[in-house]
Amino acid sequence: MIIGKQKPFEEIWDMIKNFKKVLVFGCNTCVAICHAGGGKEAEILASMLRMRASLEGVEIEVKHAAIERHCEPEFFEPVMDNVRTSDMVLSLACGVGVNFLSERIGNIPVYPGINTEFYGAVPKAGIFTELCAGCGDCILHLTGGICPIARCAKSLMNGPCGGTNNGKCEISQDVDCAWYLILERMKKLGILEKMFEIQPLRDWSTGMYGGPRRIILDHIEEVEAQEERKGS
Amino acid sequence: MVKAEEKVLSVEEPREISSGWEPNILAFACHYCAFAAADLAGVMRLSYPPTVKVIRLPCTGKLDYIHILHAFERGVDGAFVAG
Repeated sequence: MIIGKQKPFEEIWDMIKNFKKVLVFGCNTCVAICHAGGGKEAEILASMLRMRASLEGVEIEVKHAAIERHCEPEFFEPVMDNVRTSDMVLSLACGVGVNFLSERIGNIPVYPGINTEFYGAVPKAGIFTELCAGCGDCILHLTGGICPIARCAKSLMNGPCGGTNNGKCEISQDVDCAWYLILERMKKLGILEKMFEIQPLRDWSTGMYGGPRRIILDHIEEVEAQEERKGS
Repeated sequence: MVKAEEKVLSVEEPREISSGWEPNILAFACHYCAFAAADLAGVMRLSYPPTVKVIRLPCTGKLDYIHILHAFERGVDGAFVAG
């Protein structure tokens, strides 16, 4: 899922302080799991902003709301009229949600209340780790299910590099060397010899380096178009 | 760099406390222990200041950040959680 982290309160206050009607708008999917931008966090942040406004002696109406997802249009439909009564929306959704709502809301600014960080997992409550880089050309079958693109600081395809240090990465003793993990995993799987195969130069254009990506499923799009024709 | 939290705290200037002022305290008490203790105190005719208001919770595990924040927004001076 997408992992986010709430922006510093001061940065958020600077964003909202010149508006009169603010909606703190949470998303109850990924960012709710990482305690950054769900309905609960929206309610807490709204309360803190109201108190800050009161301490500063300024009148700002801060409301909160949340929907299940900020990345699909149907979830917005029931709430859009209410959302449009605000001067600005402080979105606690990931960057996808901020973009998506900005395109639909008209002349109301949508500002980000969280920093969208990475695609990650939750190995333990309160711990979130980056495991996938969304590179568009998965090679996990070659690396024992451990991704060197996301988890190696250099995204090496033929690792480890000389910076590997007793299973840790040279950038920090807190960061595992992905290639050390890959090696150990491949030993366990009995396919260590695969480590010695040289991986060719990688085409990075399948990832963000190739520009914004779009996937179109023709068969789904066609069914939707048929439904619309029936309805009209 | 000053941390955001520190800056927020520094917004409110400490003020002189006038004589006779008593803080409004909201006490969140667990039904099974602290509230029962408060009940017992009542039976024993022990008194506490009228500025303390008690809210009984089924368990203090029910208490959430937002309840404390709402209390402060509505002007309590302190929250007391007992459970």
